[in-house]
Amino acid sequence: MLAKYVARRFLASVVVVLGVTLITLVLMDRTRGTYVPGIDLNPSLRPEDIARLRADLGLDRPFYLWYITWIWGVLHGDFGRSMIDGSTVMSHILDRLPNTLELTATAIVIGLIVAVPLGVVGALRRGSKVDHTMTVVSVAGFAVPQFWMGLILILVFSVTLEQHGLPWLPSSGAFSAVNGGDVLDRIQHLILPATVLSFFYTSTWSRFIRSSMLEVLSQDYIRTARAKGMSERRVVYLHGLRNALIPLITLIGLELPGLVSGGLVVEVVFGWPGIGKLAFERALQYDYTTVMGVTFFATLLVVAGNLIADVLYGILDPRIRLA
Amino acid sequence: MIGQSRVAELELPGAAVEGASTRPAQSYWNESWERLRANRIGMAAGVLIVVLALIAIAAPLFSLAVTHFQPQTIDLGATFAKPGSAHLLGTDELGRDTVTRLIYGGRVTLGVAFLTVAVSLTVGAGVGMLAGYYGGWLDDILMRLVDTVLAIPAIFLFILMSILFRPTPISLALIIASVGWGNVARLVRGEVLSVKQRDFILATRSIGARDVRMMVRHLLPNVLPVLIVAASLGVGQIILIEAALDFLGLGIQPPTASWGNMLTNAESYFFHSFWLVIFPGVTIFITVLASNIFGNAIRDAFDPRLK
Repeated sequence: MLAKYVARRFLASVVVVLGVTLITLVLMDRTRGTYVPGIDLNPSLRPEDIARLRADLGLDRPFYLWYITWIWGVLHGDFGRSMIDGSTVMSHILDRLPNTLELTATAIVIGLIVAVPLGVVGALRRGSKVDHTMTVVSVAGFAVPQFWMGLILILVFSVTLEQHGLPWLPSSGAFSAVNGGDVLDRIQHLILPATVLSFFYTSTWSRFIRSSMLEVLSQDYIRTARAKGMSERRVVYLHGLRNALIPLITLIGLELPGLVSGGLVVEVVFGWPGIGKLAFERALQYDYTTVMGVTFFATLLVVAGNLIADVLYGILDPRIRLA
Repeated sequence: MIGQSRVAELELPGAAVEGASTRPAQSYWNESWERLRANRIGMAAGVLIVVLALIAIAAPLFSLAVTHFQPQTIDLGATFAKPGSAHLLGTDELGRDTVTRLIYGGRVTLGVAFLTVAVSLTVGAGVGMLAGYYGGWLDDILMRLVDTVLAIPAIFLFILMSILFRPTPISLALIIASVGWGNVARLVRGEVLSVKQRDFILATRSIGARDVRMMVRHLLPNVLPVLIVAASLGVGQIILIEAALDFLGLGIQPPTASWGNMLTNAESYFFHSFWLVIFPGVTIFITVLASNIFGNAIRDAFDPRLK
């Protein structure tokens, strides 16, 4: 049953991934061969040099061949070479991936640690002042532009504190260029960007856990548990919370791509050398192969994330029929 | 339970008779309107949105009569003026008046947001309706297309497209809508699938109504509440996306003012003119907050099931 379900979902994912490559094909075809990066920086290039460059980059071949070559490469884990520096896109991705994972994983963990208790308290004390305050904060959290919140944090905790001679937090990068790189230094750099990202996760997830918890607590099996004299604490945590957290798995599965793309804006604001910033910088430099490679890599994560979340969900909650 | 009565259930007997469906249908809208009006915070947020939109539309009037500055008039004698009587919210690095630029920026930002919502809804509703109504292979193809579009991390798609198509307000709206329609299509399809099972559809078919009539006259009114809710909840999110793209320099290009691109160089003003960082952000925050609150109020009023 499960194997069949997984197989079916996997096939659907393959269709989606192929669809994504088709969209990529269209976008590539629009740009292919219209621009050789760096050519405007080097006016002394002779026409035959340009032709050689274009041949090197595969721009002289018909687009379907170009596409097939690209897909073939992707199937073998090769996203091609950057149009700007000639190193492989894969090496760029692997170079930046640890930084991005460091930031987003921290943010997700902090988000969970804060959101779960908040959501439970909100559900248990529904309608109380605490609950209302949390609702307001969460509604506000949805409305704050992430990049602006980042700017304000930099303004307060880096600029203003430094101006007043107080200890301040670094506003840019993942570690100090000079004498940096140890754990303490990295944590200092991590605080501000991780705050912005986890604030965003917290405002989403705490609402989600609250309503999930409310729904679970109104179920018959909770009444049964209470009726048989189980202590309220056990009812809430053993039966309530455990079941309320199941839907959260879907949410976190959906966040798996967010590991790579979710922090893009935050990475740019804080100069965090991650994958999002890589895509952004390379986009501004018209480095199509890199941007395509990163996009495709992120898409694979989306599809994988959805697949894993669905399967996990089915395993954890037997009520969900896998069909 | 009473609150759950939907158009479809009320117009059962004479659905195909002209005019017969209007009276009960109106009672649904009236009911929703009453619920919406009772929500004071929601109404206040709605009024705020309308006021902001009116100010944006009347931007030239404000610039003539109230602020006395043009959004792109450079005054190098008055750069980085502090907020005060001459410039209510100060000036930027080129001596341009912040209030005026915010008002004109609102035109762009709100305009892009509303256009994006309109395009997403139209395309999404059309696709969702076709997929849900006809089912079969058409449904499969359209829904796999939706899966595909939604599988690409949106921010990367926006970046790719905005380097390909130089963003103007209209192309920016189309770029954002190229992802936004997917969710709408899913919602509408689900709704159509459920409405399709109702008896009045069978009744309508039995008197020989054709597909187009069926979709426009009978399915569309029934998915309208879903569309209204999606639209009102979508505006705020789209403003945030648009502001972020503008901020990154991938959206509306200077010198045209938008709330996002007024913050692009903000980091270089930190040390002396922090108000240039504060005001555009606060404007975005208040607008998105009001849209979200109003959107929630609309959802509670039009679709009590979702509350």
